[in-house]
Amino acid sequence: VSARTDETESREDADFRRDVRAWIASEKPAHPGFKLPQSFLEVESERQFEFLRAWQRKVYDAGYLGLDWPAEYGGRGDPHKRQRIVSQEIARAGAPFLVNVIGLQWAGPTILAFGSEEQKRRYLKPILSCEEIWCQGFSEPGAGSDLASLTTTAEVAGEGWVVTGHKVWTTLAHFASWMILLARTGPAPEPEGQALAALRAHKYAGISYFLFPMDAPGVTVQPLVKMTGEGGFNQVIFDRAPMPRSALLGQLGQGWQIAMTTLTFERGAAEGTGGGQASPAESSIRSVVDLARRVRREGRPAADDPVIRDRAAQLWIDEEALRLTGQRARVAGLNMDDRPLATRLMNKLVYSELGQRLTEFACEVLGPDAALWLGDPCAPDKAEWPRAYLNSFGVTIGGGTSEIQRNIIGERVLGLPKTK
Amino acid sequence: MASRPAAFPRLEVPTDFGFTEEHGLLRQEARRFLGERLPMPELRKRADAGIGFDRALWKELAELGWVGLVLPESVGGAGLGWLHLEILLEEMGRRLVPGPFLGSLLAGVAILEGGSEAQRAALAPGIASGDVVATLAPTEPGGVFEAGGVTATAEPVEGGWVLRGQKTHVLCGADADLVVAPFREPSGAVALFAVALPTAGVAAEPEVSIDPTRPMARIGFDGARVGAAARLGGADPEGAWHRTLVRGFAALAAESVGGAESVLLLTRDYAIARKQFDRPIGFFQAVKHPIVDMMCGIELARSLAAGAAAVLDATPEAAEPLARMAKAQASDVYAQSVRKGVQLHGGYGFTWDCDVHFYFRRAMWSRAMLGDAIHHRRALAGQLFG
Repeated sequence: VSARTDETESREDADFRRDVRAWIASEKPAHPGFKLPQSFLEVESERQFEFLRAWQRKVYDAGYLGLDWPAEYGGRGDPHKRQRIVSQEIARAGAPFLVNVIGLQWAGPTILAFGSEEQKRRYLKPILSCEEIWCQGFSEPGAGSDLASLTTTAEVAGEGWVVTGHKVWTTLAHFASWMILLARTGPAPEPEGQALAALRAHKYAGISYFLFPMDAPGVTVQPLVKMTGEGGFNQVIFDRAPMPRSALLGQLGQGWQIAMTTLTFERGAAEGTGGGQASPAESSIRSVVDLARRVRREGRPAADDPVIRDRAAQLWIDEEALRLTGQRARVAGLNMDDRPLATRLMNKLVYSELGQRLTEFACEVLGPDAALWLGDPCAPDKAEWPRAYLNSFGVTIGGGTSEIQRNIIGERVLGLPKTK
Repeated sequence: MASRPAAFPRLEVPTDFGFTEEHGLLRQEARRFLGERLPMPELRKRADAGIGFDRALWKELAELGWVGLVLPESVGGAGLGWLHLEILLEEMGRRLVPGPFLGSLLAGVAILEGGSEAQRAALAPGIASGDVVATLAPTEPGGVFEAGGVTATAEPVEGGWVLRGQKTHVLCGADADLVVAPFREPSGAVALFAVALPTAGVAAEPEVSIDPTRPMARIGFDGARVGAAARLGGADPEGAWHRTLVRGFAALAAESVGGAESVLLLTRDYAIARKQFDRPIGFFQAVKHPIVDMMCGIELARSLAAGAAAVLDATPEAAEPLARMAKAQASDVYAQSVRKGVQLHGGYGFTWDCDVHFYFRRAMWSRAMLGDAIHHRRALAGQLFG
């Protein structure tokens, strides 16, 4: 990540970066001695969660979180690049990630964009201070890539709503106070006997977006086990779970549009998130180079193997290309006059695929030791590389699979015919 | 995860790098001029007739200020930066502009970087005005072009030098008036020589180029006697050669990005127009997704090419890694684009009538020149691993 620090910054920004760096160096918590999650996708235990929550709280109390959110909602009203600097420095220092990812990066910016004044005042500050954790209720067992086919319903009941349905891949649900929830408020789509276009319109129009209280009765959170064997990932079942009328975000039936905004933030295609965002691929080639110096293959350092060197150089190129594309995307429109959306919409696809290639490459560098798993006392780097490679699929699949990203780019940027 | 190695190479790119309004104007001008002057039927006519070099067109490009774009105004250049050149080269790559542009550009750069004050004043103005067609001869048999591998020799004699050796794949080498090339002196150091053509003992023999818009020659120096002034007399000849090559990597990368962009647009348009199974073939993800991958690759390579150009403008001594990255990536992306481009055009793509093969040929040429991705990754790995 130090590449970011290599940018020639304004004097004020450089000073700010230096302060942030010094602060992190002195305040970064020591490793607690128990296994830490690699990302917010596998926070399993109470002690892991409390450790991470305390760290985010500390960052917020120091004034380094929510920098670009308005002061009246707990932020500081600074330009976005200040928050970016903090995120970069956290990643650079190898400090723990900020655990309230869904609040900071997805729910928060969406509430800022669509929430009522009351909602903004109510929800945003506790996101920053980590007093209230958020989770996301979008995907369902029958609605993955085809998200708009979701069937969870919110029916009007008395002064509010009741929710019935089933959400999956609900990261952090077991610690969350709130959920950003997509539910059908119009009649369910009828696949038979309707013109296709009408069905499509219907499908999107019937969806609304809610801020759902996770402590409501009728909510069951069940853990799902990831392919790494770790938890942190859940399914949530709603059995006529009540929420107040004020839980609605935006207009009734506006849910699809708002959800697309959330996904834009989730995919890193828009700025304005509360902070803590660090692309997993940003700094990793350095670590793999370091690994290749320590690991031996065929009796010699892996760093001397010409094939390893060639592939590492390619990943370095890929990392720099992604970084510069991000930098270019932040400069005025003329940089993309032919395809204004291209560099933003390709971000999620490129960084997730790169992170996967990079972690897989690290496993190959390990040679026979790539077969060792978490818990083996001789596993290089405590088997974090195989773990990271397996976990990389959470990124190429979650938030819209790479295949869906390619559809979106092909259709919205290149004007190719729509698949759906 | 693991701690960071201390010596990880730093790449310095200005934070606000990017294209401005002024860059946009150059792009528009170049796109308009080339669209009118070199539409595909015109390019086909030249390719079919074997006209890879045309002095009239060359003069026109010079009058637009393009040939001397990055040469200083003091020698008749436009005095613009490498980011401007990056844009111009992208546009020239899009239209497969034939002729010696890269050779002339880099010969001019070599003279600026390696020449004495007097040599710059004597040689550069003719290049900028288009009156002297210059080219660079970097490559030798065996594929060598970086300073360490130069085997052609320069031997000092009374009043000048005797040059011996072979240079291959010299762009427009049979048509050039001036060739700049590296030779090894008896001390073992590399020096640059600017040799007027024709000269006794220098034989330029045309090669058959895979790309009809990129004619090449092999030039033999068979004990050619040149005057003392032919040796570029700046302070650090080997450094000058290196700096020339680094600029060459960036330039060819930019041109390759432009070429790949054209292939992307041709393929995208074909995928929309061509119908099979009652639908445009671009509906099918087996067609759609490779086109998207092509676009992503091009945008990433463009960022590297523009980043390298921005560094050449801001801190040129730091430009080498990015220029190598840009060349490696742009070469690969261009090659991948033409591969998919031909394939996705189906049977039509396999014909001479389909324009894609002209880009295919250019991509093959561009990858082969000034180091392919394998070459540059080897050099980058040396920096990455220390």
